[in-house]
Amino acid sequence: MNGTFAVARYTLVELSRRRILLVFFIIGAIGIALIGFGLKVFSGAFSSVVISGPNGTAPDPAKLQRAFELGFVNNLIDVLGFFALLIAFAIGMTVIYHDLESGAAVAIFSKPVSRAAFTLGKLAAAIVAMIAIVGVLSIEARLLMLLFGTGGLGVALWVETVAQVANALTIMLLVMALSTWMNNIVAAIVAFVYNAMAGFVVLLHSQLAAGYLGDNQVLKIGLNIAYWLVPHPLMSDAKRQIALAQYDLFSSINQGAPPGSKAPTADQIVAGIPGASGAGDIIWWVFVVCLFAGLVYYAVRRRQV
Amino acid sequence: MTAVVSVEGLRKRYRRRDPWAVDGVSFALEPGQAFGLLGPNGAGKSTVVKIIAGLLRPGEGRVQLFGSDPGNPAARKDLGFAPEDPDFPKFLRATEVLDYFASLLGLDEDERKRRIPETLAFAGLDKERRQIRQFSKGMKQRLGIAQAILGRPKLLILDEPTADLDPLGRRDVRALIDQLKVSGVAILLNSHLLSEVELVCDTVAILAKGRVLKEGTMAEVVPEGRTLEDVFVELVQANTPPRDQLPSFITDQDKP
Repeated sequence: MNGTFAVARYTLVELSRRRILLVFFIIGAIGIALIGFGLKVFSGAFSSVVISGPNGTAPDPAKLQRAFELGFVNNLIDVLGFFALLIAFAIGMTVIYHDLESGAAVAIFSKPVSRAAFTLGKLAAAIVAMIAIVGVLSIEARLLMLLFGTGGLGVALWVETVAQVANALTIMLLVMALSTWMNNIVAAIVAFVYNAMAGFVVLLHSQLAAGYLGDNQVLKIGLNIAYWLVPHPLMSDAKRQIALAQYDLFSSINQGAPPGSKAPTADQIVAGIPGASGAGDIIWWVFVVCLFAGLVYYAVRRRQV
Repeated sequence: MTAVVSVEGLRKRYRRRDPWAVDGVSFALEPGQAFGLLGPNGAGKSTVVKIIAGLLRPGEGRVQLFGSDPGNPAARKDLGFAPEDPDFPKFLRATEVLDYFASLLGLDEDERKRRIPETLAFAGLDKERRQIRQFSKGMKQRLGIAQAILGRPKLLILDEPTADLDPLGRRDVRALIDQLKVSGVAILLNSHLLSEVELVCDTVAILAKGRVLKEGTMAEVVPEGRTLEDVFVELVQANTPPRDQLPSFITDQDKP
């Protein structure tokens, strides 16, 4: 336990001094602030312009305000997800790889510390660092929301933030495991491609479930198999709620649309957007995380320095 | 007396098709003994010490460190290892590196507070505030020796410990080895500096291509009137292809 704690403690000290993480954090913080303040300025300017719906009526300012809130929240989710992923790559690429490649591992492993304790310490430090960095960015985002309000999505947004961290965690573990076998840049590229492929498979699977891909049995079986071979990104209901809220908002603005014009129904809009992850997805995520953490340990254990 | 280290019929190769990096090496080391492992580049010296330190797995044979498998962390509790070309987590400072390693050794806070400043002072790094990434090779080597003695080891493995040290640093390392020997610590020294080995080691083994060519006490290996270097060169040359041919562009006097 002492060994794990020492490894975790000094890995965190090291991570806190890595400039790449600081740069990503600063870019993230500035990006979120710019989105917040930019939208605020834009909404202020936009609200002052007289706009009208198809029947010539001006939209309700409260509804317009909510549209901006939802737009902001939507952008924020994407930005947080992007930076969580960047930070996951930055931590995963360096946290074990540099010790192994620099030769620091030679001195560390000659001490009475087991490879399991070393791996546990590294994993704990990486997870704490990621939660801390993404957590600070989330708090900044929540503070910015004081400018807008949360569009009634306060809880969903927190769940979404947790889901983003959870998703970034799986990719970070994969990069950590791969970088023990190969060069860390190659490991990041492999993990990126795998993540993109996994995202594509999950997207196709959700389209299949919504009935958009027809009833081809071979495609169905193939996609179902592929779906259970990749990590499933966890998600909250936020994206769906945003889509629904925006639908309500704009359908009420468009109430005077010409008769006979065929607008999609709320169900049709929601069907194409993945909803909150269920218990099955969460269990699968836990399994994938345990599997990748096990891979990191196996790689560290096998590694001769 | 129980051997601190015993190596029997050790063989190791890195890949299945590679030649043996270590081929049938056997020796034992007892408390208070200083053992010199000599050999040309690529002889397998570092491989042997890395196996003893639990960093590499042996291919064949048996290695025991304090009576246990070196892969067992508890067996390494009384081991101090100063690796060749040492490196450390590059964003830490020397004090932090020693605190980190002292924690891995299980030293309590009082003991850490006592030992770390003294060890840093011995290594001449007590006033150093920069991070490891800004250290020279010599400074890293001194820190490598410092971390190796921090746990008051019963076996100290020094792999080319003076390669990057200045003459004063070399003298300090020799004094350290002498002092540790007196207090019963076993020393395993890998070095190219034969004069240094001759000064501090009681027994030596000369390796080439992974095999032990000669082993024994200094008196057995080095006959009267000869030096360790004479014996080493003679043995190694007899067991490796000659390589005294200089490039023709160096020897050719006529051409520009």
